[in-house]
Amino acid sequence: METRRRLVRAGSVLAVPILWFLLTRLGIVAGLPTPTAVASSFLEEFYRQDFWLSVARSTVRVLVSFVVAAAVAIPLGLLIGRYTVFADLTFPALEMLRPIPPIAWIPFTILVLPASELSIMFITFLGAFFPILLNTIQGARGVEVEFSRAAQSLGAGSFQTFRHVIYPSALPAIHAGMIVGMGLAWVNLIAGEMVAGGTGLGFLTWSAYTSGSYPTIIVGIITIGVLGALSSALVRLFANWQIGWREVESA
Amino acid sequence: MSNQTQTTREPTMEGEPTPEKTGAIDIENLTKVYDPEGERVVAVDDMDLQIGAEEFVALLGPSGCGKSTVMNCIAGYLEPTEGEVLVDGNRVSGPDPKRGVVFQDNRLFPWKTIQENVEFGPQMNDGVEEGRARSILDEMGLDGFEDAYPSGLSGGMQQRAELARLLANDPDIMLMDEPFSALDALTKEIMQKKLIEVWERDNRTVLFITHDVEEAILLADRVVVMTARPGQVKDVIDVDLDRPRDPEVVTTDRFTELRERALSVIREEAQRALEQEEGEV
Ligand SMILES: Nc1ncnc2c1ncn2[C@@H]1O[C@H](COP(=O)(O)OP(=O)(O)OP(=O)(O)O)[C@@H](O)[C@H]1O
Ligand SMILES: [Mg+2]
Repeated sequence: METRRRLVRAGSVLAVPILWFLLTRLGIVAGLPTPTAVASSFLEEFYRQDFWLSVARSTVRVLVSFVVAAAVAIPLGLLIGRYTVFADLTFPALEMLRPIPPIAWIPFTILVLPASELSIMFITFLGAFFPILLNTIQGARGVEVEFSRAAQSLGAGSFQTFRHVIYPSALPAIHAGMIVGMGLAWVNLIAGEMVAGGTGLGFLTWSAYTSGSYPTIIVGIITIGVLGALSSALVRLFANWQIGWREVESA
Repeated sequence: MSNQTQTTREPTMEGEPTPEKTGAIDIENLTKVYDPEGERVVAVDDMDLQIGAEEFVALLGPSGCGKSTVMNCIAGYLEPTEGEVLVDGNRVSGPDPKRGVVFQDNRLFPWKTIQENVEFGPQMNDGVEEGRARSILDEMGLDGFEDAYPSGLSGGMQQRAELARLLANDPDIMLMDEPFSALDALTKEIMQKKLIEVWERDNRTVLFITHDVEEAILLADRVVVMTARPGQVKDVIDVDLDRPRDPEVVTTDRFTELRERALSVIREEAQRALEQEEGEV
């Protein structure tokens, strides 16, 4: 990347604390903790085992739910995208479930699932599941028919066509779904942790609010932001590794 | 050919019985209607055409007359609305590795390297033979590009790689839909030479769709000219030029004669297609 773009990007990141500093300095937003207060709170948290436990908990929840979501959504999406019968059987039901807000699932899942851990994981899973599913369907439908025909004329059966043509050809769309899905997994996770309680960064942030330690709220928010960005970067790395033949758009 | 005492059955083959020629295509009363319940586009109407095993036939015709449709029926991608296509006496019911296809736009798999592309056919069938892909790629002048992805190749090289992928599968029939139309004149000439070389050596049947009258006459044993849509056979021109044909053959009187004949038929049909379109608007 050229130096100028690097500088602009660094500026974009730096603008946030500068703006924040100005806001607190001029007293525009009442009750907003100053950057220095947050920084010292950060240092404090940094030495607490509890904080790292929350980070680990949330990260593991996201990663596990995300992997399960991808493992279910990708094959399902490929099948829905390619087989009309399969699409008619499953898609209308899925489309009905999709608009239900994640939080609305919590009371129900806490009731039916044996542990609140599972209900948090479930809505995290949902966050990743639908974007990956929808993008995979679109990717599978967008496969140029002559690629499948070429494969068939070279002797590929339907499974082999799936494996060697439909799936790789849909990969860029699948990756786009994974990037969106990773973001939504974090959104749903934090919501779940705040409502269901127990552990995790969502819970940490929420209990900081109820106990009135405002700088810790900001610490929670920043940590979530950083972890979210890191996970998206991880997905992009994975995507680039998986399709070396085509650069993934990084913008 | 050690056994010279045995009586020869064919002047070309000595000592061995002539192997049965394969790759004969028989198009019988082929009709293809797109969207039969809606707009009803009759692309091909009751077409008959016989292509002999190991024959090189060029298919010419005005744009939209149904050439690709015919090819897609032979390839087994499309189900005829009426009539049928027979290959060596068997009804075509789907794609088959014995009938290889080269598409107009390059259809190498972009997610596979050139070598993986070439080995795809054998991998799907009897298994990959060590070193075979490499030797085919060498023959096509693509040595050193085994590990490149298709996007890293020029248009001419991509087309050669696609031909290599087809040859690796050893098909009886090669169906080619305007394979060289996107290439520049020089690359096109090289590709034509390569194709003829391969065809003469391996005894395959070729159906070659093109817009280019000179290309058709230069390459084919017979040139089939189709009518404007709905497509039928309008004229069949036997190209009685000796092989090998070098590029200078285009300056001969016989070539000019054949070209004029093909052109006059096509002009007539193109005119008819134009009037048809105007009538539809
Ligand atoms: N899937 C389809 N649905 C409806 N109409 C189609 C379809 N495919 C082709 N057609 C129509 O059928 C006719 C014949 O098409 P075809 O592609 O076989 O022509 P062609 O001779 O190959 O044309 P070109 O020289 O432009 O490649 C055209 O009028 C085309 O618009
Ligand atoms: Mg065509």
